[in-house]
Order: sequence, then C-alpha cells, then structure tokens
Amino acid sequence: MIFSLDTWQITLFTLAVGLASTVVILPFGIALAWLFARKEWPLKSAVETVVLLPLVMPPVSTGLILLKIFGRRSPLGQWLYNRGVEIVFNWKGVLIAMAVMSFPLLVRSVRTSFSEVNPRLEQIAATLGASGLRIFFVITVPLAYKGIVAGALLAFSRALGEFGATILLAGNIPRRTQTLSLAIFNFVQTGNDTDAYTLLGITVVLAFVFVWCSEWLLRSAKKT
Amino acid sequence: MLLRCRIPLSDFELDIDASFAARVTAIFGPSGSGKTTLLDAIAGLKEITAGEIEIEGKILFSSTRRINCSPQERGVGYVPQEGALFPHLSVRQNILFGARRNDAAGQTRAATLDHVVDVLEIRSLLDRPVTQLSGGESQRVALARAILCGPQLLLLDEPLAALDIGLKEKILPYLARVRDEFRLPIIYVTHNMTEVLTLADWVLMIRRGRLIAQGVPKELFHSTTAIASMDENEIENVFRVRMVESDRAGGRSKVRTEKGLELYIPYLQKLADPIFQVRLSADDILIGTQPLEGLSAGNIIPGKVRDIESLADQAVLTVEAGETFYVRLTPAAVARLQLRQESPVFLIIKARSFRLV
Repeated sequence: MIFSLDTWQITLFTLAVGLASTVVILPFGIALAWLFARKEWPLKSAVETVVLLPLVMPPVSTGLILLKIFGRRSPLGQWLYNRGVEIVFNWKGVLIAMAVMSFPLLVRSVRTSFSEVNPRLEQIAATLGASGLRIFFVITVPLAYKGIVAGALLAFSRALGEFGATILLAGNIPRRTQTLSLAIFNFVQTGNDTDAYTLLGITVVLAFVFVWCSEWLLRSAKKT
Repeated sequence: MLLRCRIPLSDFELDIDASFAARVTAIFGPSGSGKTTLLDAIAGLKEITAGEIEIEGKILFSSTRRINCSPQERGVGYVPQEGALFPHLSVRQNILFGARRNDAAGQTRAATLDHVVDVLEIRSLLDRPVTQLSGGESQRVALARAILCGPQLLLLDEPLAALDIGLKEKILPYLARVRDEFRLPIIYVTHNMTEVLTLADWVLMIRRGRLIAQGVPKELFHSTTAIASMDENEIENVFRVRMVESDRAGGRSKVRTEKGLELYIPYLQKLADPIFQVRLSADDILIGTQPLEGLSAGNIIPGKVRDIESLADQAVLTVEAGETFYVRLTPAAVARLQLRQESPVFLIIKARSFRLV
C-alpha cells in the first residue's frame, strides 16, 4: 500500500485537520500569550497552570475530560447536538482534541517571543499617539513574528502526532476520524507492518521539517 | 508648567513639587535620583500616587480631580535615552509613526517633515534601516520622530548620555537648533552641567527623589547648594568668551570672558560667531599658593578662595580670579596647602584643558 490512496487520504486528512486546529487556536493563543506576557491580572497564574495542563497530563485523561464536556450526555454536547453539531466520533472531535493538546505549546512559545519585545518600544509608540491595537499590530506582532510562526509550527507538529485525546473523543474510524498516529496504531495492532512503516516514514519526515523550521526561526529571532 | 507628583520607587519616594515657565527646563541630578521616572510620569507611562501635572494649561493628571490622560492624549514627544527606534521600520517609517496625530495640519505635514529633516540633517538617512544608524544618527531620528508627532512638550531623557565625547559635541548644536527652530517647551533630563548651561533656561535639581533647588542655571550653579548636590557628577566651568587673537604657529588662541579675563585656549580658526562658549573641568585646574615660574601651562591666574565645600572624599573650591572658577581637589591637598576662605592662590590651567561647548 506504499503511497496508496488510503495513505494519501490519511496524510491529507491529518494535515488538513492539523492545519485547521492551528488556525483556530492561533488568535486565542496569541491573545492569551500577550495577556500572560504584558498584563497582571487576578488568577493569572491559575489560568496559566490550567492552560499548561494538557502538556503534562496523560493525553487520554485530557481526552476523557473532552468526552465528558462534548459527549451527547453533557449539557454542552446535548445543546450542540440539538443544533446539528456533532463533535464525538467526527472530524470536529479530531480538531478539538488536536487544538486542546497543541494549545499550550503555542502559548508558551508566543509568550516567550512577546516577552522578548522591549516594552519601552510599545510605551514610546503610545506617547506618539498609537492606539493599543496599532501598537500591537504594528510594533509587537512584527517584532515577535518569528516566535509566533515558530510556535504555530510547533503546535501544528504536535497536532499531527496527537493520539490519546483524539482516540477518546473522535475514535479511530477509517476515512472518518483516522489520523496518521491512529492509523499506525491500527496497522501495528492488525500486523500490517508495511503500512505502519510507510506512515511512520511520513510522520518522521513531517515532524523533522516542522520542528527544524521552528527551531531555525526561534534561533534567528534570538539573533535579531 | 506645574509638576507635583508622588511616586513610590523601590528604595525611596519621588516627591516633586515645582512650577516653572521656562522654554527649556533641565532636570539635573545624579544617576538613580528619579529623573527618568519623573519624565515617565509626565508622559503617562508611570503611575502616580498623588499629585498634579499641568502643561501649557492642559491638566494631564490630577489625583484630586480624578484626571489621568492616557499617553496617547498627553501630546508629549518623548526621546528616551536609548532612542528606542522601532528596529523593524525604516528611518522614514519611524519618524512618520506619530505623524498621524499631527495630521490635523493635513497638507502642512509634508512641509513639517521637510523642515524637521533639514534642521536635523537626516535627509540622506530616510530610507535606511534604523539598525544601520550610528548612535548620533539614532538620536537625531528619535528627535525627529518626537517632533513630528506634533507635541505640546518635548521630553528628552539624557539624549547624549549614550554617546562618546566627540559625538556629544556634534549633537549638542542640533538640540540647540531644535530649541530655537520649533520653539517647543522642552524638559531635558541630564546629569551633565555643560548640557544644562548650554541649553536650559531653568533647572530643577533633584536628588534621591527630592527637589533640592531650582532656578536659572548659571545662578544656581554658583551657589554652594548646587555644588554640594553634584557629588559624583562632573563639575565644569563654562565661560562665554570672545575671540581676541589666534596664533596658529603657537597652537593657541587668546579669548576674553565677559568679565574681561583673558584666557589661552587651543588654537581655533576664526569662527563665524566671534562669541562662543568654552568649558573647563573642575578637575583640570591646579592650585598653587606661591607665584610660579617655568611652567608650561598657558594660564596662570591669581585669585582668592571664596569658599570651600568639603564633601566625603573631595573638596570643591570656589575661586574668584577675574571669573568664578570651581576647582575640585582632594581634602588632603586642601589641608597640605592650608587653604581657607580668602587664601590667595594661583590657578594653573593648560590651554588644552579648555574645550569648545
């Protein structure tokens, strides 16, 4: 099945949902990272800890929490189901699992890059009459963009490798919710080593490219 | 201008109460005395516990009336010590960054840009990345950016501190030009007496957050209070002089001060303006108690000690010798020479110790 239709389908599905999850979390991640880097507010450290939890908790536990939140028996799951939105055993479940698991990596990376922007520049921009939004988009983001892109690449790479939370929330349904890591697991379980190794090769190449790009960006951001 | 504010800092409280109406007001004091904090407070970048700040009739902050204008609304142009140019923007983008606020002037903006660029001589730099500018160029660009945002007040935080002596002497005239061309009220933070004497009409002396004296610079610096406040700072003598003659072969020029004292300074070609200022560090004057001969120094001036201000490890003498001179010695030298008020002395000054302001 080397580069068969199924291989392409699984790879493209994983890339597409991974990309979508990164795009979805990007604005929230950037906003939260800015709040962490630049503002002091009540319960800040508690919120920071909660955001970082998926990084250290077993992914299956996070998946179970997501299942409890979005399952049809939960108030939110029921409410969504009544409006025709199904999360569980659906590509949307894959997207949510990927988003939740990769969010902390994005926030940590972007927060660091915001912290490295000299706040004096933002203050001077304010004295020059720039609004908060203009300062953010014209000064802060351009100066932190390498860290933001690196964080997004890291989050995307993490999303591609997501397994535990996805299998609990979205299941492992071929051509429906099956991602690269779920398919590898499936092929190994059924003794289909050839397909497993093909997908393994793809994941190694993808992970290498994205992590290498991310590290390169972070290094060049530090130099400037 | 009214400046009344209280700001808690890590090891002391900044507590200033001053009212002044000068065009250029210097805030003068040693490092760590709260000068930058005060500028930040005026610009709205530092929280004030209590007080009132009023500039040109506009109240920027009043704790009693609950007014606290945002930095955007205050209408101040701020040039911080490090310039703080936006590194990802070109020189042109930097100096036009705040010009939107000045757009009420509409069509006149371009003319204003031209004017500022010409006064500060930065036209050739406009399309360069700011990362390629030298220290002096960066400061001029930061100055242009602050002026172009149409401020009611210019705040300059030690704009020459990061520059070496050669560059300082080149940038100082630009600051004088800004003062004269744009006629903006300026608050100028410095710990250099020459800059105060060259640029300011009024000086606020602060130390550890307290206003210890204020007044006209030349008068204030002649008072013992002023000298006592300078401790680790450089003490300089500044004289307004007129060229008498220049001796190229001899490598020196003769000048005459306003009080008629003749001094030898390093050779100068004839200047466009025959009246100029020279400065002399208080550390570059030797004191003798006997008339001396056979010395290489170009200036040997008889005088009388008017005052001796003893500080921890130094003594500052005020000597009347046709002009008032400040001389800094060690307390040991004062004791060895048995100097006291009215002691006759001779000031020994090399011509090359004088520098052009």
